[in-house]
Amino acid sequence: MRMFSVSHKTAFVVDHCPYMAESSRQLIECDMLTKSRSQGVIPLAPVSKSLWTCAIECSMEYCRILYDVYPTMKLVNYIVSDSEVHILNSWKQEDQNTHELMAALAAVGPPNPRQDPECCSVLHGLVAAVESLCKITEYQHESRTTLMDTAERVANRGRIICLTNAKSDTHVRMLEDCVLETIQEQNKRAAGSDRLMPIQQCELVLVHIYPQGEETLVSDRQKKELSPVLSSEVHSVRSGRYLACKLNVLVQQHFDLASTTITNIPMKEEQHANTSANYDVELLHHRDAHIEFIKSGDLHMAGSTSRDSGLKETVTLKWCTPRTNSVELHYCTGAYRISPVDVNSRPSSCLTNFLLNGRSVLLEQPRKSGSKVISHMLSSHGGEIFLHVLNSTRSTLEDPPSISEGCGGRVTDYRITDFGEFMRENRLTPFPESMVDAAGRTPVERAKSQLERHTRYWPMIISQTTIFNMQAVVPLANLIVKDSLTDEDVLTCQKTVYNLVDMERKSDPLPISTVGSRGKGPKRDEQYRIMWNELETLVKAHVGTSERHQRVLDCISACRSKPPEEEERKKRGRKREDKEDKTEKNGKDTEEKGWTTDSERLKGVMEREKDEPSECEIIKDSPDSPEPLNKKPRLATEEQQPPEKSKGPVSLLSLWTNRITQANSRKHQEFAGRLSSVNNKAELYQHLKEENGMDVHENGKATR
Amino acid sequence: MPTVVLMDSSLSMTRPVSVEGSEEFQRKNLAVHGLTMLFEHMATNYRLEFTSLVAFSSLWELLVPFTRDYNTLQEALNNLEDYDKTCLEAALQGVSNVVQQEWGTSCPCQVVLVTDGSLGIGRGSLRHSLQTVKQRVEDKRFPLPFPFPSKLYVLCIANAEELQATDSMDNLEQLINLNGGEGQIYTMEGPLCLKSVQSMFGKLIDQAYSPFHAVLRCGNLTSDVQVFPRPEPVTIDEEVDPLPKSVQTDLEIVGFIEIGDISSPPVLSRHLVLPIAVNKEGDEIGSGATDETEEETSTNQMAGKSPNFCVLLHGSLKVEGMVALVQLGPDWFGMLYSQADSKKKSNLMMSLFEPGSEPLPWLGRISQLGPASDAAENPYGEDDSKSPFPIQPKNKRSYAQNVTVWIKASGLQTDVQKILRNARKLPEKTQTFYKELNRLRKAALAFGFWELLKSVAELLERECTLLPDSAHPDAAFQLSHAAKQLKLASSGDSKYAAYEHNITPMLTDFSGGGGAERI
Repeated sequence: MRMFSVSHKTAFVVDHCPYMAESSRQLIECDMLTKSRSQGVIPLAPVSKSLWTCAIECSMEYCRILYDVYPTMKLVNYIVSDSEVHILNSWKQEDQNTHELMAALAAVGPPNPRQDPECCSVLHGLVAAVESLCKITEYQHESRTTLMDTAERVANRGRIICLTNAKSDTHVRMLEDCVLETIQEQNKRAAGSDRLMPIQQCELVLVHIYPQGEETLVSDRQKKELSPVLSSEVHSVRSGRYLACKLNVLVQQHFDLASTTITNIPMKEEQHANTSANYDVELLHHRDAHIEFIKSGDLHMAGSTSRDSGLKETVTLKWCTPRTNSVELHYCTGAYRISPVDVNSRPSSCLTNFLLNGRSVLLEQPRKSGSKVISHMLSSHGGEIFLHVLNSTRSTLEDPPSISEGCGGRVTDYRITDFGEFMRENRLTPFPESMVDAAGRTPVERAKSQLERHTRYWPMIISQTTIFNMQAVVPLANLIVKDSLTDEDVLTCQKTVYNLVDMERKSDPLPISTVGSRGKGPKRDEQYRIMWNELETLVKAHVGTSERHQRVLDCISACRSKPPEEEERKKRGRKREDKEDKTEKNGKDTEEKGWTTDSERLKGVMEREKDEPSECEIIKDSPDSPEPLNKKPRLATEEQQPPEKSKGPVSLLSLWTNRITQANSRKHQEFAGRLSSVNNKAELYQHLKEENGMDVHENGKATR
Repeated sequence: MPTVVLMDSSLSMTRPVSVEGSEEFQRKNLAVHGLTMLFEHMATNYRLEFTSLVAFSSLWELLVPFTRDYNTLQEALNNLEDYDKTCLEAALQGVSNVVQQEWGTSCPCQVVLVTDGSLGIGRGSLRHSLQTVKQRVEDKRFPLPFPFPSKLYVLCIANAEELQATDSMDNLEQLINLNGGEGQIYTMEGPLCLKSVQSMFGKLIDQAYSPFHAVLRCGNLTSDVQVFPRPEPVTIDEEVDPLPKSVQTDLEIVGFIEIGDISSPPVLSRHLVLPIAVNKEGDEIGSGATDETEEETSTNQMAGKSPNFCVLLHGSLKVEGMVALVQLGPDWFGMLYSQADSKKKSNLMMSLFEPGSEPLPWLGRISQLGPASDAAENPYGEDDSKSPFPIQPKNKRSYAQNVTVWIKASGLQTDVQKILRNARKLPEKTQTFYKELNRLRKAALAFGFWELLKSVAELLERECTLLPDSAHPDAAFQLSHAAKQLKLASSGDSKYAAYEHNITPMLTDFSGGGGAERI
């Protein structure tokens, strides 16, 4: 539907002249005596509504349905006309509700039958309606402002619904002519104004109301173009329920509504709580909720029936049990607000209250045979009830490849729980319109920048990280991602660091040490080194945020500088240290360099055998870098090596052999051949090939 | 978007193509060659597309129902037989039926019509169909526009000059127009040969079957993905904004929402988000959707082993029961969630909301959604017991606010009876009595229904006279007080008939004491 179609603006003009005070002659018995009390009491005379009362309540019903289905964008301007014009509201969104209109109508009161009929006319109201249609609405204004140079795309169309008692067809023609003339006049005026817009299209709907039992003096007329701008139609209707029915049909036509009857609603009887009768409730909503039926020509198959005067059709859908739960995400192709036709009848209010209490109902297409098809769902959101259209046809996405078959599908140690926690921390919440922060960012921009900060260092798998597996790091990790830190926050971070230092001094085990094979003293040093490096990486990622973030990094750098006793130990194990340094550097540089030489590769493999964390370090820095080519074969040849991913228990034998191999490896220099071997096989006499002029670059290593 | 290939197998397709080379081709051979190319492309890059093959002449036949098995399609294509004359209308009707039976009317489909451009003569010819298009009765309507959203691609094994020489081109253009302008005509450039047929089908592939690659981003975590089916551009209001909006190739997550809060939102379309491995040259090397040749198997295995953000995201969304709100373009959003196809298989799925700043009323404006941690008080509560959603609209709907409607006599009678029922239980029901009385009063004043106020006043007065001896004395006072107030209001006197004014219970010596004093 176009935003600025004819239905964007509706001007109601209701005749308030003395003849509207006439009775509709529809009698209503309001003294309903119960049998036991009826003896000896004379019932009161029935009451009857005036033409005015009929016109008002039917137009209010029109507005009620309209506001239920379109709370915004579809505006009503209500005008009452007698010897003067009473404009009861404006196009402003805040004026668009029935409560305001009812209050304004009460102030106007019923027509005064003693007023001079000569000076009263609905014409005043029609002129005011045209003037009003020229006035720009908030939405038109906003669109024109945002469209800037293409502002002329914003159209100005509208509809005038005039409820009156006309005298004759000639009278009707006079009213039409008057509207047309006024439009032409007003359009000239509007051309030169900012707050006014010329009317491009106007639909005039004249509803002639006459008392029941009388002959009409005005004939019905189909919609007819009076000019390129104005079209007009005339409805001649008896007052009372005929008028109500007519306006109900009109509101459906004007706003593309359709009707659905929910059938088989089980409802507890007040008197007999154990029994339940089945009820039907009719709802109005945008007709797109039936689009599947309309397009497939299935309207009748879907249980559509003509009712009443044959003017309306309704689609019947069956209440369906079991109900659905709110945590299920249905594939829903549309959701349309509803309005019950008979809003305060008992079945209607039972259904709406049930839904407003937060429950949802699936609706089923009644079919003569075959399987049951659930096509719709009723559900309320924030006190508004919506008819959801569920997809009931075959999906084009059926049988897709599972995510576990695709990229990254075979990795099993994703930090699913941690990322879940991350998602909870990054949940969204609505902020008031005026909420813009100091930097002028909208809330959604702030949400994006928070995600950016929180993901500066975020290893995706468990074996890539040490610090995020440590409870002790949590306070710092939670704080460091923040946009700004307080002094107290810095203190908390520092405490975390001191705590880690303390753990290191006490040689507390790190969570990583449960993984893979282990040694005693030296091993722990290495673990802590990795942990400190990772912590530094995390904090460094945020160091630019503020001076306080810098202070946290300073604290880490200061604290991790080796205490004296460790310094000593370092000297003792210089040889080993060297090797470790290389590995570590290696790990860091893989991104750029990758594994270049066989000797480095070998060392890496040896390191890993000895010390699992360094393997993690390697992956962490470049999850995408290619794995060493001969990794798998080597693992295969060394049967005792536990599969690294499985982290299963290590046999005593493998522990022992590893230890011996390590000890031995320190005592002698590795054979050059073994260093450059592939699958423990080294090619002999390589220089011969070279001498024969063949380029030897096998295994990626030149032996020159 | 499923595809129907509608292949012309009339005799005219067997006309030989005059080429100076050694081999002699029929037009049909060229068409088969082109379609083979299309099928091969789909088998590798568009594997999840459902395609069916319909052949037509004066009759039509569904050769292969919708399938992803491109070998079957290819086989059927290779075994195509030759029939009589071209009768397009019946064939299009057939396509319409085939699609509706399988997918209903809401699923967008692509129809690829392959023909030599000789569209028949006399009755049943396209010319004849188009001439009579306006004189149809309801059940013999021309099949276009299709009842489902569609694109009609016409691939002519003929060059434009050839088609323009007759009225074929005009007729085909008219056909596209009848489909609401949705579609395109492709013709061959230069001589009819394998090369030009390849270039024509190449254009179709670029236009309609190029895979949509994007980068999914959550802060610094990213993944290369293919979005399937390809999201198509969307136009919401042609008048105000005629340019269709397209999904951008940078899909940025803005935050997360519970499934219960997003609450089955209406969506324009659904798409699979498949992580893909992109090697340094920027070529895709396996999306899980592609056919695995031996060479690809190893690369796929590699890709399977390196951690991918999509898999992490999918896992956590599934476990937590949440969705990720994702920005698709300026003022356009969608959601990512885990979709289970069966108990074992599940997938990362993306649904597109309608473009606009407020696609879901219960979320409010998306630009106003910010991180919950920015709020002064945790909107989800310390123990996750609360939620800031749904947003409550400013005004309540009629069904949520006890409106008064008297269009049916029963509505009015019920309201009057309610007052009388409470009147008989005074003074216990004093509050309810006045509440109902004031509701009726307000409505009667707004509707200008003063006669009703008088009638109800009389009813109350009569109730007063009918009170049993055992009645509490306060009841009589309240009834006559209420009746008097209603009468005053019915006079229209602005002092008593103000809409916002409420009749309050009369203060008596008995009021407040209730029925306790009665002995």
